[in-house]
Amino acid sequence: MNPGQQPLVEFHDVTVAYGRRPVLWNIDLAIAEPCLFGVIGPNGAGKSTLLKAALGLVPVVGGFVRFCGRPRRQVQGRVGYVPQRETVDWDFPVNVMDVVLMGTYGRLGWLRWPGRRERAVAAECLERVGLADLADRQIGRLSGGQQQRVFLARALAQEADIYLLDEPMAGVDVRSQEQIFGVLAALRDAGRLVIVVHHDLRTAAEWFDQVALIDRRLVAAGPTAEVLTADNIQKTYAGGIELLEQLGQAVAERGRTE
Amino acid sequence: MTLATFGQPALIAMAGLGLTYNTLVVLGGVAAVGCGAGVVGSLTLLRKRPLVGDAAAHATLVGVAGAFLATGRRDLPTLLAGAAVSAVAGLLVLVLLRRFTRTREDAATAIVIGVSFGLGLALLGGITARGIPGGGGLERFLLGQTAALTARDAALLAVISLLTIVIVTAVLKELLLVAFDPAFAAATGWPVGLLDAGLMALIAVMVVIGLPAAGAVLVTALVVIPPVAARQWTDRAGSMLVLAGLFGLTAAVAGVAVSSLRSGLATGPLVVLAAAAICLASVVIAPRRGWLARRLRSRIRGGDDQP
Amino acid sequence: MSSDALALHGWSMLTAATVSASCALVGTLLVVRRMSLLGDAIAHAVLPGIVVGVLAGGRLGGPLVLAGAVVAALMTVGLTRGLRAAVGLAEDAGSGVVFTTLFAAGVVTVSLFASRIDLDPECVLFGILELAAFDLVSVGGVEVPRALLTATAVLVIVAGGLAATWQLQISTAFDQEAAAAAGIPVAVVTTGLLSLTAVATVAGFEAVGAVLVVAMLVVPAATAELLVHRMHQVALVAVAVAVAAAGLGWLAAWRWNTSAAGMIAVVLGGFYATAVVLAPADGLLARLVAKLALDWRVAREDWLARIWRAGEQAGAAGASVVRPRPRTGLERAAAVWLRLTGRVERSAGRVRLSKDGAREAELVVRSHRLWETWLGRHADLPADHLHPPAEWVEHHLGAAMRERIEAELTAGEADPHGREIPPEAGRPDGPPPVV
Repeated sequence: MNPGQQPLVEFHDVTVAYGRRPVLWNIDLAIAEPCLFGVIGPNGAGKSTLLKAALGLVPVVGGFVRFCGRPRRQVQGRVGYVPQRETVDWDFPVNVMDVVLMGTYGRLGWLRWPGRRERAVAAECLERVGLADLADRQIGRLSGGQQQRVFLARALAQEADIYLLDEPMAGVDVRSQEQIFGVLAALRDAGRLVIVVHHDLRTAAEWFDQVALIDRRLVAAGPTAEVLTADNIQKTYAGGIELLEQLGQAVAERGRTE
Repeated sequence: MTLATFGQPALIAMAGLGLTYNTLVVLGGVAAVGCGAGVVGSLTLLRKRPLVGDAAAHATLVGVAGAFLATGRRDLPTLLAGAAVSAVAGLLVLVLLRRFTRTREDAATAIVIGVSFGLGLALLGGITARGIPGGGGLERFLLGQTAALTARDAALLAVISLLTIVIVTAVLKELLLVAFDPAFAAATGWPVGLLDAGLMALIAVMVVIGLPAAGAVLVTALVVIPPVAARQWTDRAGSMLVLAGLFGLTAAVAGVAVSSLRSGLATGPLVVLAAAAICLASVVIAPRRGWLARRLRSRIRGGDDQP
Repeated sequence: MSSDALALHGWSMLTAATVSASCALVGTLLVVRRMSLLGDAIAHAVLPGIVVGVLAGGRLGGPLVLAGAVVAALMTVGLTRGLRAAVGLAEDAGSGVVFTTLFAAGVVTVSLFASRIDLDPECVLFGILELAAFDLVSVGGVEVPRALLTATAVLVIVAGGLAATWQLQISTAFDQEAAAAAGIPVAVVTTGLLSLTAVATVAGFEAVGAVLVVAMLVVPAATAELLVHRMHQVALVAVAVAVAAAGLGWLAAWRWNTSAAGMIAVVLGGFYATAVVLAPADGLLARLVAKLALDWRVAREDWLARIWRAGEQAGAAGASVVRPRPRTGLERAAAVWLRLTGRVERSAGRVRLSKDGAREAELVVRSHRLWETWLGRHADLPADHLHPPAEWVEHHLGAAMRERIEAELTAGEADPHGREIPPEAGRPDGPPPVV
């Protein structure tokens, strides 16, 4: 799966800007082994932005992201994605099965519709997240946790090697959280890399094999026990990096703020 | 406006029979347009850009007048080709304003609507005031007038509309994916920008071929109202598209038929009123999503609360 | 020009300007509150209200018609919200349904009763500005167009209404939730704005027709927003733009013998386009100039810093070194410029920095190394990855930021590559001078 010993995911000095204002500075991070990897940090730290940068959804103004040593475009089908639940309109006229089938579109390509094989894959993915009996339900008539699991099933249907999940536990009941975590752990055990944006420090320590602490820059990354030290957490959550704000402002205004 | 202005004395000679045939073909063409508008409109509604067609619609007038001034011809294909060019140009300006200025998106839309329509009216006014031969009658594109359509025109409209429906069907999977979750679509490698641009182009085409029936001012209703009505009846995108097509077809045919009963009535407003009637019925009586059903449900639930 | 013609033009332009001013005033708030398309919807939807008013015996511009228009406008908003509440329809789609339906109903009614009322579909679309100067009434012995009287009354109502509630309107526009929390009756304020919009729209409708009212509502305010930033300034500039466009539009229509309403909208569009290009801070031209200025500064600073570093490697920052090869055309131009302005001295293929040049170069190198040091401390980044970000940030790090970083360092600390960080220019060592 990983010839040439390239890291599965490598962020090389990645700087991301919205408009001209940088929001994420010089992230340098390489994940070599399949694991459950948590991206942890306060609100507005740029955690989701990091995932989006990896997926090419926001422009990277400096540095690059590689998957197994290759740019994203060449490994499109191998990267699964679970966006935040609030980003879509749940009143959309599709049912649970329709949404999960969307995970198979990448492999299908243009003009081909999902067939029997895709339906079987989707049904199996629904089974894994415990929603097999809700396949025909309109997605608006699901609980938050069920909606999140639909998104997870859709990512599973991508049959990817690397999964990127954006706050999959946010606003989700405990039962769904455990179910989701179970699915993610199973993925890891099957040799997949699972990167999860997560905001809760307490559960992070118990769930993730490795974590990265982020607050607009990378504070620390590595095995959970080594990284989640009082010092690192203080650095991440204490704020106090107005300098980055100031500098961002100066860059956005094309000058120096004296 | 009679057939004589089209220089087809032969048709006139055919008198009653010919006209009946013509009316039928026109109705068929209008039906196809209404159907296509409903189908494409459903996708813009689901993409949360229901009013983008309005900007394109108001911009068509510049093209109609411009095509007439440039070629001196007033046959429908020429005028509609001009309308298509200016509709796309209007949408392009909208995209550029959004990209390069601080102006809010809704204000930018309003600016394109107001200024392009103003330019169109100024051109039309100039044509009328100068008495340019053949320039009369362009106003029928403001509020719609199908009486002047020939069978050939109607057939052209029908072919374009059916072609549009075929294209939408071919890329329906992709269009729905982008409408539902553009971030996921982009992350899984679909060219979201290209698909959005394609949808914009399709809506521009629909608005243009809707001009003869509904007119620049009201054609937007043809792409908004039937999809809104259709959404009430179903929770599946596919059936919504089919229903919206049927509703659009019905509204277009009903409007055109009613206007033929009495001369001097523009078709556009009648088509809109027919669509609005369907929409009102859908909003009120549709099962589950309709107003009555919701009232009933909350009644029952209220009853459940008190054992 | 005969005095008759002069009167015709004068009265018409005055009417158009008065109408435009009312629309621009309410438009300012509509644009800021992202209600531009609601303005468009109202402009269409007042038609049935006007028609009912006229059928009930009212005159265009009379109180009956104004009341009908206000009712129709509020109905549009009410129905749109009702659709959202009843079946969860998004507001833009809802208003698309409601205003086209109401407008269609109005047009059909006008067509059916065309013989009984002095309204026809033409007038609905084009306005009757051209006829304004022919329908005169006597006011204190002066023959004044009736439409101008209406327009003036409308302007008084709109300006008065907005002036009386201006602070409330601004607070509500700025942040509805905060305004509500502060006890401002947001719903009343909004209903007031919508009613004034309806009133202004009726006047505009008569002058330029239903569709072009949206241009009068939105374009002046959108133009003003590109030029000035405070709300009352936006309102004033919007009115100025509207009045100028009304006058110029009328004249242009007369010159080219075409629709006045259309030309007013076109002139408005021209003003907006001009502002898009030429606005002092946000204009395309200003942004292009700013970008070029930044590129030019970066090229100059890079050239100086390259020579400085080459000198440092050769032993002394002020040493003469082999001239580096410019990497871009801009850098080549910068090299020439810096030599002409005496920052760089060149002889026989070698270059060295003058005193001025060295001081500027040191500032850049200092910024670069300070940033590397800061990043090395605060971010988990390998030392060999520090250079590229600093290469970019060095051009943006101002004096205040440099000072902040320096305050974190111990005196004489080197950068992560072990190189000396040059002192701030004019300050060999020690703390910055107290100003």
